[in-house]
Amino acid sequence: MEMDQLRKTAAEIVSRDDVKYLIGWKQGTFGYRIAPSFVEDASGAAELLFSPLCTANLATYLRLVETLPVPRGQEADTRKVALMVKGCDSRAVAQLVVEKGISRDQVVVIGCPCPGVVDVALLARKYPETEIPAELKWNGSGFTLVRSGEEIKLAREEVLAEKCRLCRYPNPVISDIMLGEQVIPWEPSADSGVAEVEKKDYAGRWAYWEDQFSKCVRCYSCRNVCPLCYCQDCILDRLNPTWVNRAVNFSENTAFHIARAFHLVGRCIECGECERVCPANIPLGRLNRKLAREVRDKYGFEPGADPEAEPFQASYKPDDPEDFIL
Amino acid sequence: MSDNYEPNIVAFLCNWCSYAGADLAGTSRMQYPANIQIIRVMCSGRVNPLFVMNALQQGADGVLISGCHIGDCHYMEGNFYARRRLGMLKELMEFIGVDSRRFHMSWVSASEGHKWKEVVEKTVEDAREAGPYEGFRRRRIDW
Amino acid sequence: MSAMLLNKEKWPDFIGKLADKKLWVPQADGDAMRFAPIAEGAALPLEFSNTRVPPKQVVFPQTETLYRFQLGQEEMEQPQLEEEILLLGVRPCDARAMEIVEKLFRWDVDDPYYLKRRALTTVVGLACNEPCVNCFCPSVGGGPASTEGLDLLMIDLGEKYLLEPVTAKGVDLLAAVKEFLDEAGTDAVKQKEQVISASMQKIKRSVDTEGIPKGLPGLWEDSLWQRVSASCLGCGTCTYLCPTCHCFDIQDETEGFEARRCRMWDSCMFKEYTLHTSGHNTRPTRRERTRNRINHKYSYYVDKFDVIACVGCGRCINLCPVNIDIIEVLRQVKEAL
Repeated sequence: MEMDQLRKTAAEIVSRDDVKYLIGWKQGTFGYRIAPSFVEDASGAAELLFSPLCTANLATYLRLVETLPVPRGQEADTRKVALMVKGCDSRAVAQLVVEKGISRDQVVVIGCPCPGVVDVALLARKYPETEIPAELKWNGSGFTLVRSGEEIKLAREEVLAEKCRLCRYPNPVISDIMLGEQVIPWEPSADSGVAEVEKKDYAGRWAYWEDQFSKCVRCYSCRNVCPLCYCQDCILDRLNPTWVNRAVNFSENTAFHIARAFHLVGRCIECGECERVCPANIPLGRLNRKLAREVRDKYGFEPGADPEAEPFQASYKPDDPEDFIL
Repeated sequence: MSDNYEPNIVAFLCNWCSYAGADLAGTSRMQYPANIQIIRVMCSGRVNPLFVMNALQQGADGVLISGCHIGDCHYMEGNFYARRRLGMLKELMEFIGVDSRRFHMSWVSASEGHKWKEVVEKTVEDAREAGPYEGFRRRRIDW
Repeated sequence: MSAMLLNKEKWPDFIGKLADKKLWVPQADGDAMRFAPIAEGAALPLEFSNTRVPPKQVVFPQTETLYRFQLGQEEMEQPQLEEEILLLGVRPCDARAMEIVEKLFRWDVDDPYYLKRRALTTVVGLACNEPCVNCFCPSVGGGPASTEGLDLLMIDLGEKYLLEPVTAKGVDLLAAVKEFLDEAGTDAVKQKEQVISASMQKIKRSVDTEGIPKGLPGLWEDSLWQRVSASCLGCGTCTYLCPTCHCFDIQDETEGFEARRCRMWDSCMFKEYTLHTSGHNTRPTRRERTRNRINHKYSYYVDKFDVIACVGCGRCINLCPVNIDIIEVLRQVKEAL
């Protein structure tokens, strides 16, 4: 995709009267970081970009925005929000529409077909980050890293993010404007990390997760970054009743992670953000992928694939599996 | 595991079928294990998966959820939702390493006192085999 | 006692001799490092810039019981803090943070829990040979071999560690293990200077803090807060992983008839933090919360304790999921002044 085309289109959209602002990606402050950018006027569009470093799912911001009550005599700003999405991100938008978390006509979706983004931690391990922002480009077969004047070619498998290895939707499922050519979907990898846990017995699985959940510091970044965790009043914040105690220990951490994973059953669109942001490196993606797979295999439901669908947990089929019932 | 270990089971029963079924088992003087602590809810669809999690955290060794047969729900479709939700909860719990013998679900109607007895016997026996569940308990209040 | 040398081969003996205390050492956990209590003899990892969770978790545990009681009874039982702790491999920035935070726990009312733990802890620092990309400690008064808050400083000289006692505790510690130590000569000191200046060269990022503490309150309604907080997710990563963040929440927890009152880390980035019982929230959006975080570190704390409550460890920059970079925020503050 040409950056000029992206910036020109973005400038046009953000100049429209019915658009409040546009959310896209811009160069971060160091290394391989990319920061979300909130563009309010045409001049701001010049900083937008789309590169293999754009891992963040910006659909989160559709519901994350906090607004103050509108003062008496004034009218609420009901203009649309324009949003840049990759394939996975677009599923989050579609799922939000399914759940009526947002209304489809309140968003201008700018689709960016995505040949796969990188795992920044993996990249940084091979080529440590420096204080100078580096650039990464797709080059057909893999990536080209441009930093301090030198160009380094990287094989695709070397640094590709796990979510992209498993990706089945590289092209946005919904969009109002599509930028660039459609990408040809690739064969998703069979190894999602789920089987590694599944082959253990109950005690082994428990030990595995005990080790992982014990590391949790309960910063709630996994919850906050998730485009589909948007309850105004989260059960984790409740004190009456207290579902999950504030104490940080294995039991409460496990309760928190069960609640988090369960609330995403039939809703998780596998964008991998929870896993990416976790400061304790807990493989949360495995929990989500396991549940997404069961939902797909047993119930034939794919969250975020169809904006017209019924929400999974708020619907049923008369012939849902019930082999587990006594 | 000691021989005199008695598992603690928390059962969530729907008001209209399973609770009446358990009542029938009682009034019919059927003998079944006394390890079950019943909590009556209006519908199996009312059972929040967090109830199960909290029961295990607070010392239950097993959890049983029972409602009306499919098609018989007093609220027409409550148990359809419960089936979907709790089926997925079971998958999640097993994936985390909670023994599948600790979590059961059944459909027991108001006239099925005998079935209630069988379900309880199976649940208690399974929980007994799985043994005391300390893994997920809120840590005893210590320093 | 003057500076001593410890051959790295003697490390297991050195540690073995100190095993009467509870040892906390940074340990590898996949890609990341974390402080964990160790069995005797574990090696000190050599190549790491810093742990993800700072060692504040040892002196200021994430969850700490203040006292426990039985429901319906009047007696309460307080924790007996007696175990001596030896924290090994603490980076100078994190040790400095403990010193800074201690000012707060001594202010107004002495906090018995924090101060007792701090007194029971011997902090052995490890000077930074490989600062991370976002380290900026020299800009806020620290440095790769700063000794503030440390009892003993170790400097990695390749095959040997140079051990420099800072406090009486450090001297005692060296005396306890002197059989494994050699006298440090002038070349060791020279080598140390080279190592430290090489390390200083590797610190590329900096902040000019001049005028910021005085000027920040004047920027209360500035548009920059909206700009920098727009992308904030409101998670607790920056504050929980910050070595100087020290806010806590107090909760009562019960199990059956047993109950305890405990305190746990809290974060000013959470919306519940300032939520009143009435439902009113004094910091209703992330704009106010972000503003508070920066103001607290760079202005309020300076007013009260005359020191910036930031040690430049770079954790909040490295781990922020959306690249909110405190160096960049401060640059914008400076511009707006």
